[in-house]
Amino acid sequence: MTTGLTKYDRRMYAVMNRRDGRPLYATAARRRAVVCAHIALTAIGAAAPVTTALTESMWPLFVLFGALLPWCLATGVINGATRGLLELRGRALDERQLRERDRVLARAHRVTTLLLLAAVLGAFAAGGFADVRMGVLLTPVLFGVLVVHALMPLWVAGLTVRDEPDEE
Amino acid sequence: MSEQVHNRLAVVRAERKVSRQQLAEAVGAHYQTVGYIERGQYNPSLDLALRIAEYFALPVEALFSLEPFSPLTDEVYGRKRR
Repeated sequence: MTTGLTKYDRRMYAVMNRRDGRPLYATAARRRAVVCAHIALTAIGAAAPVTTALTESMWPLFVLFGALLPWCLATGVINGATRGLLELRGRALDERQLRERDRVLARAHRVTTLLLLAAVLGAFAAGGFADVRMGVLLTPVLFGVLVVHALMPLWVAGLTVRDEPDEE
Repeated sequence: MSEQVHNRLAVVRAERKVSRQQLAEAVGAHYQTVGYIERGQYNPSLDLALRIAEYFALPVEALFSLEPFSPLTDEVYGRKRR
């Protein structure tokens, strides 16, 4: 695993395996709370630029900046909980981690596919029943789907990671 | 499909006074992986099992088995019959 690692790989490996934040993700309940907070912050962050574009008001951007720091913190906690499962290159992971990453990506793909289906049906329903123009929906729906597609593996990884083996 | 592979890795590791981190570094695995193997939550590949056995200079069947291991004291001294 550690053969052929670049300086960057070693640095990232050390960062992802720091144990400083361990109390934040020691139990499944805490990991769930962090992932839920991350999802909420992502929703706020994704809604802000869309709201700005639609209403031409600036205040949502301040909300976005306010949510950015806790979002980064929550991302770091999830990455710490997974030991960089999605951040490290394949050569910095061992066989179990590679298998777990494959499992996480497959599960995230399935969930994203269902959400995409829901988004398409929702957009059609809004266009058909609520008389909303499809052109208006296109940008926010595509943006939302892109964000969810990018972050779903992180959320799945954070929710499925197992408890750390007991201390020796 | 995945069958439980039993192991006595924790016992051997404690006996040899090797930490999870030391073993993990020696066999090219993450220290958590060693912990998950010991807890029976992950079955190592043949490659990793052989590397662990080689590290301890033991045959692989001394560390891993499809059948549960009997206690080492039973194997060494035999079970006392009353």
